[in-house]
Amino acid sequence: MKEKQLQSALNELAKATEESVRPSLAEDIKQHIPRILNPHRHGIDTINIIIDLRINKLTAAAIIIATMILLANLFGWRDSHGNSIYQDSRILVAYLLRGQTEKSKLLTVKSRYEHLLEKGEQAIYYDYKVNFNNSSAVLLQWKLPDGNYAIITSDLQEKTVSPEELIELLSKMLQEK
Amino acid sequence: MAKNPELTEQNTALAHPKNQQNVSEGIQSLTEKQQHSFAASLIAGEHAAAAELVDRNYLQIYLFMRRLGHSCQVSEDLTQETFLQAWHHIGQLRDGRALDGWLYRIAGNTSKLYWRKHKSRETTNIETLELPDSSITQHHRVEYNEQLSRLKIAIEKLPFKLKEAIVIHYMQHLSIAKAAEAAGIRQGTFKSRLNRALRILRKHVPE
Repeated sequence: MKEKQLQSALNELAKATEESVRPSLAEDIKQHIPRILNPHRHGIDTINIIIDLRINKLTAAAIIIATMILLANLFGWRDSHGNSIYQDSRILVAYLLRGQTEKSKLLTVKSRYEHLLEKGEQAIYYDYKVNFNNSSAVLLQWKLPDGNYAIITSDLQEKTVSPEELIELLSKMLQEK
Repeated sequence: MAKNPELTEQNTALAHPKNQQNVSEGIQSLTEKQQHSFAASLIAGEHAAAAELVDRNYLQIYLFMRRLGHSCQVSEDLTQETFLQAWHHIGQLRDGRALDGWLYRIAGNTSKLYWRKHKSRETTNIETLELPDSSITQHHRVEYNEQLSRLKIAIEKLPFKLKEAIVIHYMQHLSIAKAAEAAGIRQGTFKSRLNRALRILRKHVPE
């Protein structure tokens, strides 16, 4: 078919494919016009860009978390109690990447860790660093008044160890990495 | 870059025959000044302008959806969705000249999103009416209608981007500039897309 012939056929097809539409459609649409039509404010535009790009919701969430972690790293946004957004984001990422059993273990130990922090104990939670294949891997440690340390291992056993034993356990964990 | 020989202004004039001006009372029928003041009213959030936008465009957007292969019911839903999205993105409207392109861009994205969500759905044929034409014989009319049917099927089989280009320019009668804006691409890219689509259609629809 020649170029012009094809173009006029397309025009003809446009005429041939005109059809009537339900008369009340326009009224239905008009009923959904918001009472106040507000142009976007500048602050919301970033979110709209993400929406416009039609990014999968999970991808968008991952991008937001990654950006938060990156910013936290850049600005050294962490504190001694490990309660910052930075820590929470890392814990969240670690949590998302774990299996179900590991997730429940992490949650149990994390709640214990938060309880200890509230009591003012010097606790350290190892969350994402732990290899769950090693049953003696330390998930949580806190100092006892007698100078020893209480630990919770990845098999959820609570033990009391001396500082030397704790160092040994931690160095084993590091070697495994 | 060499000028595309197939899509000169003369050729594209075929896409906008004057006798089709009565198809809709769309935004195209407004003067440039009117388009600017209409867009300004929309950006200002005037309810009446929003209602006018619906009145002027709902039929064309519905037909656009139908021509992209959606069923009647889905086309109605997607037309509504297009306008809902338009209200949400009213702030992105910059000036009156961009009004057509802006609305069709939203409509195109709405359709694309629908196909992405319903990958298994097949396109629905839009009914073609037999146009009475006294200038050709009954035999030729039957032959011509057959050719139109083949053309319709060939358009339906085009990839979405090419189909959108053909529909928006030749069937919705948007100029190259506005159609390119609606597709969210440069005019040159749009022309090359159109050429590609026309080449495929020429292969599938014999003389």
